[in-house]
Amino acid sequence: MSTITRILNRYKNRRTYNKKEFVDKIVRVIFMMSTILSASFIIIIIIFISLKGLTPFVTSNSGIGSVNIISFLTGNVWLTGTAFQSSLYSIGFIIVNTLFIAFLSLLISMPVGVLTALFIAKIASRRISEFLRIVVELLASIPSIVYGLFGSGVILIFVYNLAEAFGIQSRGGNSVLATVLVLALMTLPTITAISEVSIRSVNKDIEQGSLALGATRTQTNFKVILMSAKSGIFASAILGIGRALGEATAVSLVAGNSKSGPSLGVFDITSTLTSTMLEGLKETTGIDYDIRFSVGLVLMVVILLTNLILNYIKKKVGSIDVK
Amino acid sequence: MNSIFEIDNLNLHYDDFQALKDINIRIEKNKVTALIGPSGCGKSTFLRCLNRMNDLIDSCKITGEIEFKEENIYTSNYDVISLRTKVGMVFQKPNPFPMSIYDNVAYGPRCQGIKDKNILDEIVATSLKSSALYEEVRDRIKESALSLSGGQQQRLCIARAIAMEPEVILMDEPTSALDPIATLRIEELMNELKKKYTIIIVTHSMHQAARISDNTAFFLMGELIEFDKTNKIFTTPKNQKTEDYITGRFG
Repeated sequence: MSTITRILNRYKNRRTYNKKEFVDKIVRVIFMMSTILSASFIIIIIIFISLKGLTPFVTSNSGIGSVNIISFLTGNVWLTGTAFQSSLYSIGFIIVNTLFIAFLSLLISMPVGVLTALFIAKIASRRISEFLRIVVELLASIPSIVYGLFGSGVILIFVYNLAEAFGIQSRGGNSVLATVLVLALMTLPTITAISEVSIRSVNKDIEQGSLALGATRTQTNFKVILMSAKSGIFASAILGIGRALGEATAVSLVAGNSKSGPSLGVFDITSTLTSTMLEGLKETTGIDYDIRFSVGLVLMVVILLTNLILNYIKKKVGSIDVK
Repeated sequence: MNSIFEIDNLNLHYDDFQALKDINIRIEKNKVTALIGPSGCGKSTFLRCLNRMNDLIDSCKITGEIEFKEENIYTSNYDVISLRTKVGMVFQKPNPFPMSIYDNVAYGPRCQGIKDKNILDEIVATSLKSSALYEEVRDRIKESALSLSGGQQQRLCIARAIAMEPEVILMDEPTSALDPIATLRIEELMNELKKKYTIIIVTHSMHQAARISDNTAFFLMGELIEFDKTNKIFTTPKNQKTEDYITGRFG
């Protein structure tokens, strides 16, 4: 028997089994505790928001009267009557505004983002694409308040002047257009980064197959590479729309916070679910405070539904399209 | 000899590494030419010169002359796109596009601007028939090409190439990723195709070269060692290195 075999056998035969099993158990308990902790926070948040958010509908709100859930979800004036004396809140128009703005911003950021991604992944030289990749990552990590400041300092002025050129007096530039532009800017890096990764991971064989058939670079890029990357591109759209729906700070600075609507004109002031929640949150109490949690509840449902729908479409599109 | 490719003094470098050394060869029209040799001998690199797929590699530098139908394809104003429509290619691993079988075959013609549905239908049906795939896929021609088996995918790639009605088909080890039965079907197909097309095939299998080719070129370390009729190469090779290789002494 060699020395090594002897030493190994000595270790194998030591009676450490019970101790090892005990350590295994402890580690398992620690893992489970941390899972329970993080999961329970999410549940606690949901319960808290739901309780707060449902209060205006189920209590009499200190004698003001409860909010009607149907008119809340469908109406087109934020508050009919005076604050603290009326329970006639509604956010139907705000839901429409939110979806409208998210859709428009994606309409800008999707094509621009995907084309940028294609350029970085396939067209630019290696040095340029490495540089651009860093730029995109930097843009993605800029805090939203900075985008908001840029929006209120630059985009508002641009939109104001643009509206003036059309002979329209906008409210200091606060408008649907300004909000859409800020959100498009904010979602652009996310969409670019994720699309770029999925375009870059398209198999080179497919690209060569296309070129060998006499397809041009452009035909190959659009017909084969984007086709093959479409599932990843769709994923980028889902994340982009998530950010567009959930963004509060930057939007509040450029939306104008309209109190009725919906706002469908590009130079109209507007409001989104998030900006409505944020506005005046610190300066109010009672029903006017609680109702913002109801808005938050609606926002969660809207985001959940959008994601479900988009994921459903992604599954349909992502599997090879069959005409 | 009626040659379709005439290659003179071809040298190819990847940066400092010389992958092809002074290659001179005439490829016969409507014949199957097999390129054999051990891994890394430059046979695939040579094949990729013929439809200028090496253009995609930045570090690749080429000198010498390759004449396709008496025209040098390595001049700056030569139309690469049109070259690739005349010199088709089938790759080592089946690489169908993630689209339907129909769209795969119609891809090449569509890229050239053919939109008429009747013409495309005709091209797709003919190509699938000539690649012996039609009977197997006629009922699911609109289904994804990725649902096919490996051998079927490779035949689809051949169909895709012949949809362009090329004059030459380059095949880069087309059966190395396939099982023996699928390989047999591809070889049968090549026997059919050689009536209409010039085929140049890179293969690792000497049996395959012996079975299907008319001429065989033996490459070693970037040099063309011997080029002759296949039966001569395999029975009475002139060069000692060729003999060593085909008798299995190395490679």
